[in-house]
Amino acid sequence: MPGPLPRRSSALWWNRSWRYRVFLLRELSALFAAVYMVLLLVLAQAVRTGEGAFEDYLEVLQGPVLLVFHGVALLFAMLHTVTWFQAVPKALPLKMGVRRVPGIQLIAANYVALAAASAVVAVIFLA
Amino acid sequence: MTSTTSTPPSTAQRTITLELFRYHPEQDTEPRFQSYEVPYRDEWVVLDALNYLKDEVDGTLSYRWSCRMGVCGSCGMMVNGTPQLTCSAFLRDLVPGPIRVEPLRGFPVERDMVISLDDFMVKLESVKPWIIREVDKPLSEGEYLQTPSQLADFRQFTMCINCMLCYAACPVYEQEEQFLGPAVIALAQRYNLDSRDEGNDERNELVWSKEGIWDCTFVGECSAVCPKHVDPAAAIQQAKVEATNGFFLSFLKPLGRR
Repeated sequence: MPGPLPRRSSALWWNRSWRYRVFLLRELSALFAAVYMVLLLVLAQAVRTGEGAFEDYLEVLQGPVLLVFHGVALLFAMLHTVTWFQAVPKALPLKMGVRRVPGIQLIAANYVALAAASAVVAVIFLA
Repeated sequence: MTSTTSTPPSTAQRTITLELFRYHPEQDTEPRFQSYEVPYRDEWVVLDALNYLKDEVDGTLSYRWSCRMGVCGSCGMMVNGTPQLTCSAFLRDLVPGPIRVEPLRGFPVERDMVISLDDFMVKLESVKPWIIREVDKPLSEGEYLQTPSQLADFRQFTMCINCMLCYAACPVYEQEEQFLGPAVIALAQRYNLDSRDEGNDERNELVWSKEGIWDCTFVGECSAVCPKHVDPAAAIQQAKVEATNGFFLSFLKPLGRR
């Protein structure tokens, strides 16, 4: 007698729900962060080389392709931030005595830390 | 309510369509779908509709169920593509239909909605989900005591009913059969975090391996479908943090004890 129907898998699994697609976008965000880091390293190298190289590189960065890239990378960075902070209570639960600290408080603490870090960076570069 | 009691029952009975996955290995080489009309009732769940069909229409339907109250974990199926306990999936939330019912995804199908549990059972046993002691305390010395705080560390992970909805929701398990999977890792974590247990090393050789926690890409869908709010995704991420800490701490231990 023939046996059970073997298990099946589909390469189109991500097409089944928006939650799977958000997961893929979250993973994809790492790629944009990596490319952004490379651009940042090139910038540091240009600064080291001298003012001329720095001015040239700024011009390159203002080209249409890189402007669009930075816009898209910003969106992905925001998606990454939101999804990463959402994951914090799952990966690092915090206990105060018997009670768990509510996840929403842990997430809020991360946004506060992000705001503080951004403020420090802003003070250094804009002051 | 009093004014409506004299109204005669409507003669045109409402119905809803169920599209059921059918596979009988002795006659089918491929699965097929069969549509049935069932009476619609506000208080019915998908499992009630299946029981009605098996009793009144087609006795050849095969599916598992037992408690009808979300405790036994037997009646999990794909309802419109989402893994659900059919005893908790109300028809009123699925109107107007049709409602497509399939066996849990990622498992071999024995017959209709009945899947093969073998892979899950082997994996469950492999993580030794019971309390392990290096030396058992004699009964005369009494029970192993635990504070409420120590209980709170793992209590959530004890709620698992082995319904396997998390496996059906997990795209990693769908693609890679060797993945230990959400529920099994959550149960390993349940005993690892238990203050009475001393078996972490025995479990973690497997749990901390590639087929264990490191296959998980944290899609998070296991926790979204869990009917008992076990949050297996959290259990796996916490195990990853512990495994990482353990890896780095091992360099601080004397060589002989690594």
